[in-house]
Amino acid sequence: MGDAMSGYSCVDHGLVDAILERYPREEPSLIQVLQDVQRAYNFLPCEVLTRVSRELGVPLSKVFSVATFYKAFSLTPQGRVIIKVCTGTACHIRGAPLLIEEVQRRLGILPGGTTEDAAFSLHTVNCVGACAMAPVVIVGDKYLGNAKAAGLAAHLTRGE
Amino acid sequence: MRIESRQQFDTAVAAARDTRLSKGREVWVCCGTGCLANGSKAVAQAFDDRIREDGLQASLGLYHKTTGCHGFCERGPLVVIQPEGLLYTRVRVSDVPEILDRTVRNGEVIPRLLYKDPATRQSYAKYDEIPFYKHQIRVSMRNIGRIDPEDLDDALAHGAYAGLAKALFQMTPDQVIAEIEASGLRGRGGAGFVTARKWKACRKARGDRKFVLCNGDEGDPGAFKDRSIMEGDPHGVLEGMIIGAYAIGAHEGYLYVRDEYPLAVVNVQKAIEAARERGLLGTNILGTGFAFDLRISRGGGAFVCGESSALMRSIEGRTGEPRAKYVHASDKGLFDLPTNLNNVETWADVGAIIVNGGAWFAGWGTERSKGTKAFSLVGKVKNTGLIELPMGTTLRHILYDIGGGMLKDRPFKAVQTGGPSGGCLPADKLDLPVDYEILSENGSMMGSGGMIVMDDRTCMVDVARYFLKFLSEESCGKCVPCREGLKQMLLIFDDIVSGRGKTGDVERIERLCQGMQLGSLCELGKSAPNPVLSTLRYFRAEYEAHVGRKACPAGMCRDLTAYEIVQESCTGCHQCPKVCPTEAISGGAKMKHVIDQAKCISCGACFDVCPEDCIRFFPRAEAKEAAHANADH
Amino acid sequence: MPTLTIDGHTVHADHGQFLLAACRSAGIQIPTLCDHPAVEPYGGCRLCVVDVTRPEWNGWCKMVVACLFPVEDGIVVHTASTRVIEVRKVVLDLLLARCPDTPLVRDLAARHGILATSYVRNQQPTDCILCGLCTRICDRMGMSAIGSVDRGAGREIATPFREPPAACIGCLACAEICPTGFIRYESGTARRKIWDKDFDMLRCPRCGRSHITVAQADFFAGRGGVPRSYFEICDVCKRKDLAVAATRLACATETPAR
Repeated sequence: MGDAMSGYSCVDHGLVDAILERYPREEPSLIQVLQDVQRAYNFLPCEVLTRVSRELGVPLSKVFSVATFYKAFSLTPQGRVIIKVCTGTACHIRGAPLLIEEVQRRLGILPGGTTEDAAFSLHTVNCVGACAMAPVVIVGDKYLGNAKAAGLAAHLTRGE
Repeated sequence: MRIESRQQFDTAVAAARDTRLSKGREVWVCCGTGCLANGSKAVAQAFDDRIREDGLQASLGLYHKTTGCHGFCERGPLVVIQPEGLLYTRVRVSDVPEILDRTVRNGEVIPRLLYKDPATRQSYAKYDEIPFYKHQIRVSMRNIGRIDPEDLDDALAHGAYAGLAKALFQMTPDQVIAEIEASGLRGRGGAGFVTARKWKACRKARGDRKFVLCNGDEGDPGAFKDRSIMEGDPHGVLEGMIIGAYAIGAHEGYLYVRDEYPLAVVNVQKAIEAARERGLLGTNILGTGFAFDLRISRGGGAFVCGESSALMRSIEGRTGEPRAKYVHASDKGLFDLPTNLNNVETWADVGAIIVNGGAWFAGWGTERSKGTKAFSLVGKVKNTGLIELPMGTTLRHILYDIGGGMLKDRPFKAVQTGGPSGGCLPADKLDLPVDYEILSENGSMMGSGGMIVMDDRTCMVDVARYFLKFLSEESCGKCVPCREGLKQMLLIFDDIVSGRGKTGDVERIERLCQGMQLGSLCELGKSAPNPVLSTLRYFRAEYEAHVGRKACPAGMCRDLTAYEIVQESCTGCHQCPKVCPTEAISGGAKMKHVIDQAKCISCGACFDVCPEDCIRFFPRAEAKEAAHANADH
Repeated sequence: MPTLTIDGHTVHADHGQFLLAACRSAGIQIPTLCDHPAVEPYGGCRLCVVDVTRPEWNGWCKMVVACLFPVEDGIVVHTASTRVIEVRKVVLDLLLARCPDTPLVRDLAARHGILATSYVRNQQPTDCILCGLCTRICDRMGMSAIGSVDRGAGREIATPFREPPAACIGCLACAEICPTGFIRYESGTARRKIWDKDFDMLRCPRCGRSHITVAQADFFAGRGGVPRSYFEICDVCKRKDLAVAATRLACATETPAR
């Protein structure tokens, strides 16, 4: 864990405080709190998880189970831009696998991975419910409908 | 202002009608997820700016609002001009001034922006005349696309909460349940359990603290009706839940929404706040003394949480692991207390049923499946989008009359319904009326109402493998048959699609399917074999081709397929080299193109783009044999 | 009192009893891997599947897991029907692929006629069958030091962040309940190590034997009004104390004080 730990000291606890204020201090708040933590920090820093465990009175092992069970959470920092390739059925039969390959090829990362310069992360999502525009790629918060492999390059440039 | 009596409610509705329905002219811009993706936010902004800058509200009596999803996402951004009911599709920001000038000021229709039926090439001006809409009957989606989901008064003006007022002021809880029973409403999430029976059990359950939950974890890939309902008419869902809570005697509820639906979360949250402010939610609802409040619980991205017991664990803040259901949720559900869970669409039906009566709803449908049902029609079909139809409509009607037929007029192969728990139905099942029983009898399922149309270029073995992969990533891993079974089944399928299939694989698959169906803990595992079994049932020959001849008849399994350009018919149009991701196609413009087999990854991009149909695919095994034969000579 | 028929025998069971217990009390053996009297039933291994029917169901059976199914009056249970055995075989075949070298799994599979798995043998064989006994007993102890991590085929038992768990007191309950010996530990006179965490041992003040960890004694101290000193004395010495007390009592009876 040593290397991965090194970046954690810069965690801004003010953000966690604000998040914890929004919910009752009880177990049912756990997933909601972690959602907000994921959004605020772009991942779940282990210091923050320990803090959340203490504040909500949920054992750390349960927090860790939840953090690793749900796909919305990640324990490693994500890239500045998150690329989500929808792999719903409609997207699959309309060519989502080619889109994943294209992103992989262009960025040199596998689904779940982050580029070395932390510019991009690639994820697959099991249906974003935009099936009528399949296949769909979401770059940051921009939805690209009827996406074509050849057209993705323009969205994968750095320095945006 | 809080509404605290029947009279105040009627006054509020009348006032809302006055302000919302009596506008002379209106521009509605769809701002559902699909249209937003196509840039509708900028279009809405452009209308807003122009109307304000040019003072059109004063001069033309022109108003503008954003609505939820019209269901015709593929054609977005969609703009509706009222009162004419004109539908403009694929509207760009640059079209806005022209629409205001020509259509709004001068009453002219702009033909370029009209919907053109891809099947007949006919243009349609009016929303209601378009075949995609003409055949629909919308109950759960009654207000979607008509109201501004962020405006409670607009919802009230369009009839929202009328069912709630009727239930609270004129009916006893038992009468409410009786009306739902008369409607024949069954769970719209897929399993089709009789709604009234569920409510009754929960009403009867002992305990003062009960919960009413809404399942908005629409996890079936290819289905998005619940997203559209939550985004476009969140009040319809809330109304249903409050009525349900009244019938059951519950005072607390949760709306579990997928985290992948951010707009739905926002719109539902706003609706809850607005309803609370007006006294439609919270303590002393409409002044009747009935109390019910509601919270959103956002999912964490786990398909299994669509399963009721896993969903409840997730609301409790735990991992979404299902439990055995030998004790029903109506007795021991959320926090081990009596709980009633229904799907978004089921809840959205409730208000309309109370207003119009159970018999009205039961007037549609088949013997055992009553009412209307929302479907998302997607895949290789011309008109993709969201539709609502009476139960019992045939697949053929849906596919050809509403869907406009197959994309690029390729041959139909199958329609997949029911998501990962469902199956694929072949061409000879197209005349089946769609209802719960008929779909299950034929090896599929209603599920969330996803209908994914597949053509001859869809490999059924790959489709089965796709669902196995999906499920193996989504299995919670608690029980052995599901966790280990999916893993092993996927390994067998990986072999088959990559040419390493062995004799006996199909039999091994069948045995494993039976073990999983009978042995798994929850419905995810029990129904996981369905996509495999239904493709085996109707498309066994495709499996045999993969295993025996190492050939993929659809040309989609890349390890088994090679492409070549038929030199005689190639016109050198230079389309294919442009789309080839590996630069495997040589030949400049006006020259015959050739595929370098060493570089080709068999992705099929060239095949899809070729205007002359001169690219052909064939089993890679044949290519190898041919190479051997050549070497021998 | 619910009366049911199990494999042709009439069995009287208690209200709220689970079917597995009713079967066992009737002398009918059903294989299980995730059931244990110290913890709540779980329903994860699926080996205890049985067929349940009623005369009025006209031959239709539903398959349930005996460990979680509450007994009902009048049900007819088949614990070894063809399809029950077939499901058990599939489960064991799958487990054998996961744990090809684990004696417990091999023996149980062999008893069901499976000598080698028909599936793909795990590349990294493990002894963990994911029965969840360790996490459940740890929860029950109130520690919750370990838990399940990830999901699906990637699921495993681990400590938070896969680091030595702060909440662990080194009680060894997880290792002792583990049916396959997957959870390893070292325990010596001065130190104990489990889940990569080191513990100081506590010596019994009477005999000097190391019998519990300091963390254990700290945790239990004061619970149920029992002082820490009680936990410091080892079980062997406690039994000796009992014997001494009993003898004293016996002698006292022979010659009453007054």
